Amino acid sequence: MTSIIGQILWLYMYGVLLAIVSISIYGVVVRPHILKKIIALTILADTANTFMIFIGYRLGATVPPILTTLNPSPSDIATFVSSAVDPVPQCLVITAIVINMAVTALLIFLSIQAYRLYRTLHVKELSRLRG
Amino acid sequence: MASTIVLFVLTLVSVALGATAFTPSLDLRPLAEFYLENCLNQFNKDLWAASPEAVTSMLWDYRGLDTVYETTVFFLAIIGSVAAFRFGEAFLRSYEESKRKQRREEGLSLIVKVITRLTFVLIVALSIAIALHGHLTPGGGFQAGSIFAVAPLLAIAAFSRRFVEEFGLTKNTCLAIRTTGLITIALIALIPLLSIALGFTGVFIIQNQPKPWALQPSFPGFPVYLGPIWLAGTLILFNVAEFLTVASGFTLLFILLSLPEDFFRRLMGK
Amino acid sequence: MIPLFFSPFLELLLAFSLTMALVLAYFAIVQRDLVKAAVLSAGQSIAYAFAYYLLAAPDILFAYIPIAVGIYTVLLLYAISKTERFEEG
Repeated sequence: MTSIIGQILWLYMYGVLLAIVSISIYGVVVRPHILKKIIALTILADTANTFMIFIGYRLGATVPPILTTLNPSPSDIATFVSSAVDPVPQCLVITAIVINMAVTALLIFLSIQAYRLYRTLHVKELSRLRG
Repeated sequence: MASTIVLFVLTLVSVALGATAFTPSLDLRPLAEFYLENCLNQFNKDLWAASPEAVTSMLWDYRGLDTVYETTVFFLAIIGSVAAFRFGEAFLRSYEESKRKQRREEGLSLIVKVITRLTFVLIVALSIAIALHGHLTPGGGFQAGSIFAVAPLLAIAAFSRRFVEEFGLTKNTCLAIRTTGLITIALIALIPLLSIALGFTGVFIIQNQPKPWALQPSFPGFPVYLGPIWLAGTLILFNVAEFLTVASGFTLLFILLSLPEDFFRRLMGK
Repeated sequence: MIPLFFSPFLELLLAFSLTMALVLAYFAIVQRDLVKAAVLSAGQSIAYAFAYYLLAAPDILFAYIPIAVGIYTVLLLYAISKTERFEEG
C-alpha cells in the first residue's frame, strides 16, 4: 500500500516523538525555574496525547470518524467502518487535554502565590525554606 | 554534570524503545469497529447512540462516566485556584474607591477597542454554534467552552478589568453560571434513576436511548427528533450544559488573574 | 511529473510538522528568557495542531488550538508579569 519511503517516514516520526519526550523530561528535571518546569510539563503532556492519536491512525485513510448522512444504508455503514480512523483514542485524548489544562492552571496559580510569599521561584532556594 | 547523565540515560532509553517501533496498519481494533458500526445504526437499535459522530457519542453516551469524573476534576482545580486567590468583595470595592482619583484613561487605543467589539461578537457566536451542533459535526461542550474563553480575555486586555466588571462579569456571576451548568449535568445523568419512582425498572445512569434487552418496563429514553430537528437524546443537553460550565470556569480564572499585584499586597497586609 | 510510485505526501507533511515541533520544543526549553519560551511553546502547539489535522482528528483540533495557543500562553504571560522574567542557573 505504501512505499518504502512511507515506512521509513513513519519510523522517523516515531523517533521524533520520543526525542520530544526526552527533551521535555530533561526540562522538567534539570531546569531550576518553576515556570520553565511548567512549560516542559505541558510539552510532555501534549506529546503523549499526540502519540495516542498517532497509534490510532489507519493507513491510507483520511476520513474522520463522523458519518455524513443521518439515514445511512447498510452499505454506507460498511464503507464507513472500513475507511475511518479509530475514534477511541480521540475520546480519551479530549478528556486528557481538559484535565491537563485544569491542573496546569492550578499549578500556575499556586506558583504565583508562592512568589508573593517567598519572593523567589528558584527551586534550590524554595527547598531550603523550613516551616 | 547531572544534566549530562540525565540526557545520556534518556537517549539510551529512547533508542531501546525505538526498536519496538510502530507503523499504522490497515485494520482497526474490534472495539473501534464496534463503536463505528453502532453509533448510528437505524436497522438494529439495540445499541445505538442516535448521533452520526462517533467521538461525541463515546464521550457522553458510551463512556459517559469518564466525562462526569473529568468534569469533577476540572471543578476541583477551579475551586483550588479560586481559594488560593480569595478576597472579600468589600475589600475590592474599597480598593477601587481609593484608586479612583488616580484613574486616567484606561484600556488600549480606539482602534483596538472597535476591533475588539467586532471580534467579541464573532467569537461568542462561533462558540454557541459549535456547542449546539456538537452531536452532528466536530465540536461539543469542551471545544465551545475553550473558544468562548478567549473573548472575555480580549475584552479585559482592550478595555480594562473594571469596565468588564461594570458590565456584570464578576467573580460571583461566573461561579453562579458554573454551578448551574454542573447541576444540569448531574440532573440529566440522574433522571433515569429518578424514573424508578414512576415504575420503570430497567434503568441505567447516564442513559440516552432505550435498551430493549434490559428488564421490562425499561426507561423510554430521551427524544431523538423534534420535527425536522435532530436532537440526539441527551447529547445536545449535555453539550450545552458543559459549554456553560467550561466557559464560566475559564472566565473566572482570567478575572482572578487580572487583579493587580498591589491589591493582593494590601490584602496580605504588607 | 511526479512518478506514480512516490506518493507519501501525507507522511512527508506529517514528518515536516513534527520536525518543526521538535526544533521549537528544544529551543523553548533551553531559552533563558521566559517570554520567548512561552511564545516558542505556542509555536510548537501550532505544529501539533497541523499534525492533528493530518491525522484526521477534528474534535481534538477544536479543543487543542484554543487551549494550547490561547489559554496556556496567556496564563504563562500573566504569571511572568507577576513574577520574574529571566531564569538564572
